[in-house]
Amino acid sequence: MHNRRDFLTRTVGTSSLLAVGSVVPEFLAKAADKADKAEKKDAKDTILVVIELTGGNDGLNTVAPYGDDLYHKARPTLSFTKKEVLKLDDYCGLHPRMSDMKQLYDSKRLAVIQGVGYPNPDRSHFESMDIWQLADPKRAQVSGWLARTIPSMDTKEAGVPGMYFGDERLPVALQGADGGVISLADRASFRLQLSGNEKPRKGLIEDLNADTKGPAADLAAFVRKRQLQTYTSLAKIEEALKDTNSTQSLRPEFRNGRFVENDPNSITTLSGKLGLIGRLIQKGLGTRIYYVQLPGFDTHSGQAKMHEDLLGNLSNSIGQFFNSLAIYTPEGQTADRVAVMTYSEFGRRVKENGSRGTDHGSGSCMFVAGNKVVGGLVGKHPSLSDLTDGDLKYHTDFRRVYATLLDDWLGVDSKGVLGDKFEKLPLIDMTKKGPAANTPQPAKGFDLPPGATEAPALPVPPPTVKE
Amino acid sequence: MAALPNDLSKVDPADAWKPWAPAATEPWDRKRIAHLFRRAAFGATPTEIDAALKDGFPKTLDRLLKGEPDAADRLELLTETGQFYTEPANLRVWWLYAMLEGGYPLREKLTLFWHNHFATSYAKVRSTKLMYEQNSLIRKHALGHFRPFLLDMSRDTAMLVWLDSNRNVKGAPNENYAREVMELFSLGVGNYTEKDVQEAARAFTGWHHDAEVSKFENNVVLHDDGEKTIFGKKGNWAGADVVRLCCDHEACARFLVGKLYAFLISETKPPAKLLEPLEASFRKSDYDIAALVGTMLSSKLFFSDHAFHKRVKWPVEYAVGAVRAVVPGRVPLSDLTDPLAKMGQVLFAPPNVKGWRTGTDWLNSATLLARNNFAEKVAIGQWSPPSSRPRGSTFARVQTFQTTDNAAPKPPGPPPAPPADQDVAAAVFATNPKDIPAVVKRMGELLHGEPLSPKVAAKLEQFLRERGPAAAPATTPAPGGAAPGFPSPVPPETATKTEFIPPPPLPKTVEAKPLTPAPMPHKAPPFKPDLASDDFKARVREAIHAMMCLPEYQLN
Repeated sequence: MHNRRDFLTRTVGTSSLLAVGSVVPEFLAKAADKADKAEKKDAKDTILVVIELTGGNDGLNTVAPYGDDLYHKARPTLSFTKKEVLKLDDYCGLHPRMSDMKQLYDSKRLAVIQGVGYPNPDRSHFESMDIWQLADPKRAQVSGWLARTIPSMDTKEAGVPGMYFGDERLPVALQGADGGVISLADRASFRLQLSGNEKPRKGLIEDLNADTKGPAADLAAFVRKRQLQTYTSLAKIEEALKDTNSTQSLRPEFRNGRFVENDPNSITTLSGKLGLIGRLIQKGLGTRIYYVQLPGFDTHSGQAKMHEDLLGNLSNSIGQFFNSLAIYTPEGQTADRVAVMTYSEFGRRVKENGSRGTDHGSGSCMFVAGNKVVGGLVGKHPSLSDLTDGDLKYHTDFRRVYATLLDDWLGVDSKGVLGDKFEKLPLIDMTKKGPAANTPQPAKGFDLPPGATEAPALPVPPPTVKE
Repeated sequence: MAALPNDLSKVDPADAWKPWAPAATEPWDRKRIAHLFRRAAFGATPTEIDAALKDGFPKTLDRLLKGEPDAADRLELLTETGQFYTEPANLRVWWLYAMLEGGYPLREKLTLFWHNHFATSYAKVRSTKLMYEQNSLIRKHALGHFRPFLLDMSRDTAMLVWLDSNRNVKGAPNENYAREVMELFSLGVGNYTEKDVQEAARAFTGWHHDAEVSKFENNVVLHDDGEKTIFGKKGNWAGADVVRLCCDHEACARFLVGKLYAFLISETKPPAKLLEPLEASFRKSDYDIAALVGTMLSSKLFFSDHAFHKRVKWPVEYAVGAVRAVVPGRVPLSDLTDPLAKMGQVLFAPPNVKGWRTGTDWLNSATLLARNNFAEKVAIGQWSPPSSRPRGSTFARVQTFQTTDNAAPKPPGPPPAPPADQDVAAAVFATNPKDIPAVVKRMGELLHGEPLSPKVAAKLEQFLRERGPAAAPATTPAPGGAAPGFPSPVPPETATKTEFIPPPPLPKTVEAKPLTPAPMPHKAPPFKPDLASDDFKARVREAIHAMMCLPEYQLN
């Protein structure tokens, strides 16, 4: 059930759309069959997954400048040595727990954008988060940057353009997207509301929509298809939510000294959320913007443990996510359509505090990962000798990252969304071939689909485990 | 509908725009009246259709074009209140009220059209006063002449803020307005050069708003009065000259006629030559919008299959039309704004200067679901009581979601009946239909202006003949099932799961049938619904909802 048609056939076959009876309306089967064909061929269907690292991620220990004495001087208890980091170059390396992301980096699928920020950085969580999510340091915008993206973005299959996976209030980034965002916190936003007598009513709606006569070019026929797709989308979401016997079993996660089995149903964890997103993508849901959060980055004290858990979780989840998407369909690899971006509201002070933690700072790093992402370090690591009030100086406005993803990845005019033109970064290369050339040979014991050159994720650091 | 070739490219343009006249084969009937009212207004009520049948086509059209005799008085009253709102949510409700009660629906429709054409958003303007003033300005010109309209819009304060006019100064021109006035407001892409934009920006320098951001101000000091070349014409052009040159441009009529064609007639792209006669007469009339709209709405093409149901309803048309059609009394219009946002249209807040993406772009899974769920609100009558209406809700923020919806299975059976003046069943029963076919006929007239097709009607009749859950026997033939008249012991949440109920072996038929809750049609005595019963009225409300979910109902 990796491709859309399989899914539709299957869904229709078990009549889990609106159908609740034993008779599958013929129109559903027919429409499912046609669903693939009539769509705009040239419409973009690239997907952006945004991961918000809530609390202010310590960029300096995420991409650690291990080769700089000033780093070790400023962080007597927290700094990583040359041996510990996962080296990116002679100067900096990833946090030791980020092995999956290191692998993405090695296979040229991870861009590490350094020194990102905005003028006059605000060190309040709330204010700075607003600035990032409104994409406006003046905070004059009243809707989020992704919300502003949605009206100009093509969506195939009449899909829900944007989805938020979490049970918090809708993030500011997605607020104000008139008609286009659903939130898993709000079931009403992806549920057909029928107050009472549901079954006969669903039967009636289905029956009334069963009249497929009329010319194919007819507008009513088009809307009928859209209705069907709507009900299908809802079914897909419900289905994905309860898809317990998913074939892609999630790797156990190493946490607090032991392996924790991930419940694929749990959307309380980042890996659970990304897993669900992966399933929705495979089910052919037309959604193009997914938004998730990983909270807990406000590491004022005892940072080392908290931070390694968080970054380990982040790295494993992203690695797992891309592995689950390394699926080959006639249209190409599913993962080719997906890019992940991480951001946090600010970085942290260069100098660690007296509680083995770090306080609010500025100028941090961002990650953009994906098969079509031009991997490597983007921009220089901000200097540790040239600080402002003990903070790193940014050199890359975060809106340049947004603008690049809008123009080059989502195919949405960035000026319309951001209100200004921003110089783009070399992050996306749509002509880039899969990761074949750069990945190591598949490890033993993994069955890859024919023609697949995707390497599985490296096993988690020791203690090793049989999967 | 009308005798024009089925192939639009074979329609003679001269013939297409000739005035339509009722004939024996093409009578002035409910279908045509409903079609006209969907385009020229927000749909027709059965009373309005009856009146139109009596008055005939010319008088009805005239009334739509000119508005009710007291429309001017009503506007005066509306104006007195509209200017004082400080919350955009209230301004939205105010406009919805004007659409419903202003006595001039065509003017409001055109105001909506031009709001999308000159798309300006509160998101940047941040002043209800300026948005209100722009709305009034648009209303003033909506059926007027385009030249003064474009000139006034170019000096409208909200527009000046929206397109950065104050940043446009001699020596450092800002091209924002100069570009949009050509690309989006008058000519369309491909009818001007980059050089034209740059030169026009220079001409517009100094067209600013004052320091208080309250009115237009011509800052002569910052105006570049040098020579400019626009569309090949040289001169020391200023802002008004650019507006004039744009209106003189041959592409202007074509651009505007094309947009109005999509709004009033069809979203199917017409062959270019079809619109040529309209463009010629529009130019000749010096852009008389009312005349153009009148020609379109009274043409043979308008009353043909090339126009019938050839547009997707804008969310505002869907919501306002539904409320007018089936709710007997008034509803709190503030209850419309949140559903409208979910359907994709927040008044005074188009997504960008290009306006909303209309046509089939209105419909994605989220927005269609929002339409389905709004239909439920209307049909079941779930309106806020007058006291608990949200006040001063924050602009463009999605309301904090309530998670309570996720748990608590709903009690079985229909929700309680709404008050009579918000009860769609009351609208259906207003004509005292005697039997189920009469009920269905009435529902068709309410929502579509005319009776439904026999096939659709039969399905609705079938649905209405069934017992509701409150009066139904147990859904499974298990011993000891709930007695008739008692709620089923199976909560609806579980009852909808397929694995729970073994499906009864139905004979394979070509025609798909809905599964009914009464699986023993041959043994049980035939159920005769009591039309006056609460249960039957609940069925009627549910049928109205289903009709509003029909694809045809999304079309205008």
